[in-house]
Amino acid sequence: MASFIIRRLIALIPVMCIVLVIVFSLVRLIPGDPAVTLLGPGAAQEQIDALRAQLDLDQPVILQFANYVFGLLQGDLGFSLKSGQPVTNEILMRLPATIELSVLAVIVAIIFGIPIGVLSAVRPNSIFDHITRVVSLIGVSMPAFLLALILQLIFATYLGWLPVSGRMSSFLTAETVTGFAILDGIITGNFAAAWSAVQHLVLPTAVLAAFLAATLGRFVRNTMLDVMGEDFIRTARAKGLRRSDVVLNHGLRNSLLPAITVIGLKFAEMLGGAILTETIFAWPGIGRYMFEAIKNRDYPVIQGTTLVFALIFVLTSIIVDLLYGVLDPRVRKRME
Amino acid sequence: MNIWKGLAAAVVTVPLISAGTHAQAQDRSKTLVVAVPSDPVGLEPGGNKAEPVGSEIILNVFDTLVAWTSPEFKQLEGRLATSWTISADGKEFTFKLRDGVKFQDGTPFDAAAVKFSLERTKATNSYVKATFDLIKDIAVVSPTEVKITLSAAYPAFLSILAQPQSAIVSPAAVQKFGDRFAANPVGTGPFVFKGAQADTNVVLEANPDYFRGAPKLSKIIYRVIPDASTRRLELESGGVDIVQQQGQLSAIAAEDIEALKKNKDIKILETSSQIIRQLEFNNNKKDGPFANVKVRQAITYAIDYDGLLKGVFGGTAERVYGPLTTNSWAFNPKMKELAPKYDPALAKKLLAEAKVDPSSLDLKLYSFQGPLWGAVATFVQANLADIGVNATIQQTEFPALRALQTSGQFDVALDGRQPWYNDPDAHITIGYLSSLANTAMTFRMPEDKVLDDLVLKAQQTSDMDARKQLYFQVQEEIAKKVPGAYLFSPKLIVFQRANVEGLVVNSAPPLNEYWSVSKK
Repeated sequence: MASFIIRRLIALIPVMCIVLVIVFSLVRLIPGDPAVTLLGPGAAQEQIDALRAQLDLDQPVILQFANYVFGLLQGDLGFSLKSGQPVTNEILMRLPATIELSVLAVIVAIIFGIPIGVLSAVRPNSIFDHITRVVSLIGVSMPAFLLALILQLIFATYLGWLPVSGRMSSFLTAETVTGFAILDGIITGNFAAAWSAVQHLVLPTAVLAAFLAATLGRFVRNTMLDVMGEDFIRTARAKGLRRSDVVLNHGLRNSLLPAITVIGLKFAEMLGGAILTETIFAWPGIGRYMFEAIKNRDYPVIQGTTLVFALIFVLTSIIVDLLYGVLDPRVRKRME
Repeated sequence: MNIWKGLAAAVVTVPLISAGTHAQAQDRSKTLVVAVPSDPVGLEPGGNKAEPVGSEIILNVFDTLVAWTSPEFKQLEGRLATSWTISADGKEFTFKLRDGVKFQDGTPFDAAAVKFSLERTKATNSYVKATFDLIKDIAVVSPTEVKITLSAAYPAFLSILAQPQSAIVSPAAVQKFGDRFAANPVGTGPFVFKGAQADTNVVLEANPDYFRGAPKLSKIIYRVIPDASTRRLELESGGVDIVQQQGQLSAIAAEDIEALKKNKDIKILETSSQIIRQLEFNNNKKDGPFANVKVRQAITYAIDYDGLLKGVFGGTAERVYGPLTTNSWAFNPKMKELAPKYDPALAKKLLAEAKVDPSSLDLKLYSFQGPLWGAVATFVQANLADIGVNATIQQTEFPALRALQTSGQFDVALDGRQPWYNDPDAHITIGYLSSLANTAMTFRMPEDKVLDDLVLKAQQTSDMDARKQLYFQVQEEIAKKVPGAYLFSPKLIVFQRANVEGLVVNSAPPLNEYWSVSKK
């Protein structure tokens, strides 16, 4: 197992190198000079040239790349062209907000998606199955911004139950320990802050989870139906096992393998979705940070956030492979 | 079925969340929440590059020597300076300073701090290099008197001194914080910087010792909300008190403004701006149809200016008659008569006189991105079609548009300028001086001794009345050359909750000072 992990981690290096080269050249291919973008339409050439020199953008690209790689080897992602702050710090500061939101969304999606899939498969073509099919279809096909707007209008503006946007009430002062707002509130004994953080999490989590829950529900239903038709299920039934045993221990366990792949892939996709969700809900995470950086042509930030997203993507796929080993003895054997 | 229980529990908990705390309600009546689209950049005079959010915060945390008198913004008044004199040659500015003012860190404000601040901005702020390089010397005459000597006469210098880049910083705080001064700005202003969270908020607290009297608010929270529809929902649900329509290039749709006008909890403040949007010709191009002034004139008569203001903007923009807006102190009233009026028949006649077949003019109409610019471009396109001129709209991202513009690879383009300081110089010199034609988004004027001399003379004349007369001449001279069709000036619009009082919106950026604002 350990050697498997080490092998996978070593394979990570060339992947990240390729991502780095692509991203470094790609951001420079987007038309538009960061100095021009940062200063806006009123600026004269003199002002733009001065800023270019200040940001080292007047250096040859090869030299910029060498400097960047050199810094990267020491864990330094460079400085944001817009704010002048170190990108590493800026990303670390925003990462907890994104992780909080996306991990919670995955959990919510699993809690809702898997049971729905199982129930639909146990009673295929029942009323419940039909209803969930329609709801899933809506969940999969509705764009995140529309769902967000509808939820904001109903739960925030009309009913007034939940806040429209943000991560915490601006009237509360909260200490930052870990960067995870709910956890920090509990650690510091500031329960008002923790509660406010929970309230602010509900809508963005729902938007982010909706797509995954819907996909997962349909996926689990279909694989479950296949699995439930297999010989070993018939054998299990013939042995006189309880129905719940057959469904959960034999059926679900064998349907979960492909479901985990879907969860892993969709989790990575969800980080992409977080860009939109974070922007709409004014959520201070790295998705929105990346979006702003692209608008501003903030090269070091685009590079840094892309590398982080790539890293999360690759690590997620390693974790998925490991989970396969946990769930399937045959795979575990092969890993060893 | 346990799953059903779980589902039921989840459904029950969601409404329970609504029973959340409504604490700190009393705090809210003295706290103003302002929605801004992005984090401020360069929260201190030495680094500020006219980015709107940061500029506004600077003017609430710091003070300048002089400031524009609200609500007209046509007259300068003393702020940290009580009075000033300008030498006959227009190069020496002597300021008498207010006595007894203290920075928020307790250190005294004096002439040495003025010298320190302006020299610091000159050394570190590349954005204002062109104007600050004019400063030859700053002499501390006494603790309450400072003399600034310029290398050339430049009357708009006072206007530059009212800008956030010229705000006076606490030398002791700069010493203490060094590179981190932008994260710990200290000035003399009505509000004290308390802290900022990236992509979340900036918090200011009242300065009880402010020299003009403590502000009525106890706290200002700037909330960073990037999405326009979220800002609107927050305003409607009371999550924020003020939403600004900042934007060089974008504005809220007219329908949205109409919808918000019907909401009695929300008040809309509209102020004329000094922003000018135009259809401009590539005036530097020696050949092609637009080298002929009659063709240029024809285009300016083809546009239905009032229709544009009504149809596209629903009254949220105003007519522009020439190179300056009507609210500028140097606006020449004669321009109202000289400006072209919508007359397609005359436009066709002018084209015929120029012996140009309208169908031979196949134009690429370049424009900025965004639905608003798209609507303007479509309107202009339809107007041109009415006189038989075909135009294809090409909306381009700003940096690419700028590259096209400065290299002169276009015939007509939609463009515009928001002056970054309150002086006609900000529109006229950069827009029309031929030596600057390729340096920015300008009208790309060809060399013309008469106009160039006039522009420079107007820029450098110290006597206000003489200067005004010169700008009158400049405007008439420019009108003769028909460098473009002046389309509209968008109003500055601020949405606020109805209980907010005392907000005055400045016609040139930065927009709002909150010292006089209170909540009912």
